[in-house]
Amino acid sequence: MSTDKMLSIEDILEGLKKATEGVKKQPGLMKSIVGYLDVVSTYVERIATAKEKGKWVASHGTQQPLEILEAMDVMGVFNEFWGVASDIVRLESVPEALSVSASTGTPTEVCSFFRNMDGLMHAGKWPRSDFFLYATSCCDNVKAFHTLGRRYSIPSFGLERSYFPYTAHAMEHWKNEYKRLIAFLEEQTGKKMDYDRLKETVRLSYRLTELHLEIDKLVSHVPCPLSPECFSGTLVAIRLLPGTQKGIEFLTGLRDELQERVNNGVGAVKNERFRVMWTSFTPFFDPTLMSFMQQKYGAVSVCDMLSHWRGDPKWMLDPDDPLGNLAYRTVLAPGNCQYSSGVDVATNLGDKARRFKVDGAIFNNNFGCKTGAAYGPIIKDELMREVSVPTLTLDCDVLDHTFVTRAEVESQMDSFFEMLETSKAYKERRNLQ
Amino acid sequence: MNSPLKALDEMIRLTSPFPESVTVKDWKATGRKVIGWFNPYIPEEIIHAAGMLPFEVTGNNEPVEMQGAEAHIYSNSCSKIRTCWQLQLDGKYNFLDGLVSSHMCDQDMRLQEVWAYYKKLPYMDGLYAPRKRDEVAVKLYLADLEEFRSRLSQYLICRVPDEHIANSIKVYNRGRELMYQLYELRKRDRPPVTGTEALEVSKAAARMQRERFNELMEQLLGEIQSTGREIKKAMRLMVIGTDLHNANQMAALESLDVVVVIDEMDIGIRRAWGQVDTQLPPLEALARYYVMGRPVDKHNWNSDGRLEFIGEMAEQYKVDGILSEIVRFCTYDGWDKFDLKKQMEKRGIPILEIDLEYGHPAGAQVKIRAEAFMEMLESRVTSALS
Repeated sequence: MSTDKMLSIEDILEGLKKATEGVKKQPGLMKSIVGYLDVVSTYVERIATAKEKGKWVASHGTQQPLEILEAMDVMGVFNEFWGVASDIVRLESVPEALSVSASTGTPTEVCSFFRNMDGLMHAGKWPRSDFFLYATSCCDNVKAFHTLGRRYSIPSFGLERSYFPYTAHAMEHWKNEYKRLIAFLEEQTGKKMDYDRLKETVRLSYRLTELHLEIDKLVSHVPCPLSPECFSGTLVAIRLLPGTQKGIEFLTGLRDELQERVNNGVGAVKNERFRVMWTSFTPFFDPTLMSFMQQKYGAVSVCDMLSHWRGDPKWMLDPDDPLGNLAYRTVLAPGNCQYSSGVDVATNLGDKARRFKVDGAIFNNNFGCKTGAAYGPIIKDELMREVSVPTLTLDCDVLDHTFVTRAEVESQMDSFFEMLETSKAYKERRNLQ
Repeated sequence: MNSPLKALDEMIRLTSPFPESVTVKDWKATGRKVIGWFNPYIPEEIIHAAGMLPFEVTGNNEPVEMQGAEAHIYSNSCSKIRTCWQLQLDGKYNFLDGLVSSHMCDQDMRLQEVWAYYKKLPYMDGLYAPRKRDEVAVKLYLADLEEFRSRLSQYLICRVPDEHIANSIKVYNRGRELMYQLYELRKRDRPPVTGTEALEVSKAAARMQRERFNELMEQLLGEIQSTGREIKKAMRLMVIGTDLHNANQMAALESLDVVVVIDEMDIGIRRAWGQVDTQLPPLEALARYYVMGRPVDKHNWNSDGRLEFIGEMAEQYKVDGILSEIVRFCTYDGWDKFDLKKQMEKRGIPILEIDLEYGHPAGAQVKIRAEAFMEMLESRVTSALS
């Protein structure tokens, strides 16, 4: 079985370098794209050079308090992001990794974020990891960390988070889980946690949250100033480099550029016909799809679920209680807060649709995601009921571009935007009646 | 030829037609409530103590045609939850007054949410099912149980007292003890019941009043003793994997020269395993039992214990092979597949893996694979004897 197209960490670094050079020469892009790729490259490079710098590497899933890792010189490899980075650099890598995973007996119905990891590990192309970190709830696929840890003799630690995280006892439990995590990390690294350093990383992380919220306000302007190439900028900073100066510098630059565009009335597209919300993830499996939508339909992506903070995210409750703050931060944070009741998520997205003046939603129904398979319909129906926003459901695989063809996607989008334009709610929203 | 078990026939009569059975109708006729539950992390004892009938929401012996369920739960999810939702859409579960699920798996919990959103029942609840098996997990689950008891009490406008729960624990412990005895009898070279019969017993346990079930279990064990019943088949098999409620599937398998003597399903052995400690405060005792008192299951992160348990049971029950039946889209079973096969290979236990849709009858392809597997087992036995 071929493993030639599967990307190693060196391949990803090289690919990102070339991409950075490429965007510098490409006209019409936001300046922040360079900073965006720099954040991603920095993240990958930190992992690649961790060992020589006497640091550790932890492969992990969602809901990890990365500030704790940062304060302990542990570099995280977020397994989901690794698949996304692969798609940015070379789309053929993931399908090959998935084939290798299938050859080990892993069913194709499980999430390809994890199958990609499984395949890369089997081929020896996953970043060298000292330990695995994972958490409930959900998704059930995090069991893969334990399973693969056992298979490759990599120690692992799971954080147990209640499915109903917003109760006092669940929050207290969650905070205590962080204490157990720290004990695990101390044992693995032989290093004691420096709580002053942790407080500082938490402070920096909170600054990142503030910047994110400022950016959200700017992005909600009409026309939307955020172009597809920087769409995931906030998510990347929050999910990859929280608690770092690098993350703050990037989001500060992005905010300033967006402010400038708002001041000058510059939108992502000249004729903004539709404002779109992605109610699960953005199309990682097809990195050019959002640009295509802008060009063909004038459909601008204005927000998504993965970049969403639940409620009012003032999570810095007590600067002297970094673990307590982090407990709140992680349950409210983008990419985490959807791990709860589907109705709760739908209600949040309804509010978001209002704030971002959304015309239509797209739900990417990831074949391997059972969570999405059941809350997708609730989100769709709730958005229609509460804010008269219709949803296009796209059956896809989160990473594998071969799962659905572009022609099929285009065909569905043609019908969707045609329907949207003639809908009563759209006309009312745009004062076209 | 063994005669039918009268006690089992009575269990089946009482739990038929499915799901709104004789039991359910009689129960509702007296004005009492029925609470559906969806996975093994819902302590039936608490519902029982509240004077309500706990009823496991499942499919049964016939496949259910999807006619609308996939509008609310997309097809890339487990067919068990879609089956249950379709049965609800078909009006089969209209008798439920409430539904409780736990986050044992994403799909179970999402079914509860879909139910709450599209067809809200007077009482809807959910618990978290810890993945770990330690004191911290017990504490987390116990806090959830306390809240569950409080919400249920609010619904009833009457506190569910500790004494009632303690009494229900005794009733359910007795049921477990009796079911465990049946499992022990199946260790015999010629077990007294088929796997199909054992499955029907286990299903009945979660569909009728436990006191009545216990009486019938005592009767059933007595019948076995008095009749000297024996199932004479050449091969002994263990069935593991996703819960299957379609006894016809198992009957089709046992139409070959094979008897299922042991399983590793939540609906099977886990329902019979262990005892809740009656010396502890009732809720704490339940928390300990549900988190740590049963064999490791597929939802536990550290499933090493699950694989060991399967191997040990296979050896204790002297099985010739294992049939692993996985309902498509079961994430947990999916991630255990690789290591399960390796570990059983190490123990020298052949394993046949079959992916299927919940509730569907064994199709031709499954039958062919099962037959080929049996032939392979037979040739192993023959060569071992020669």
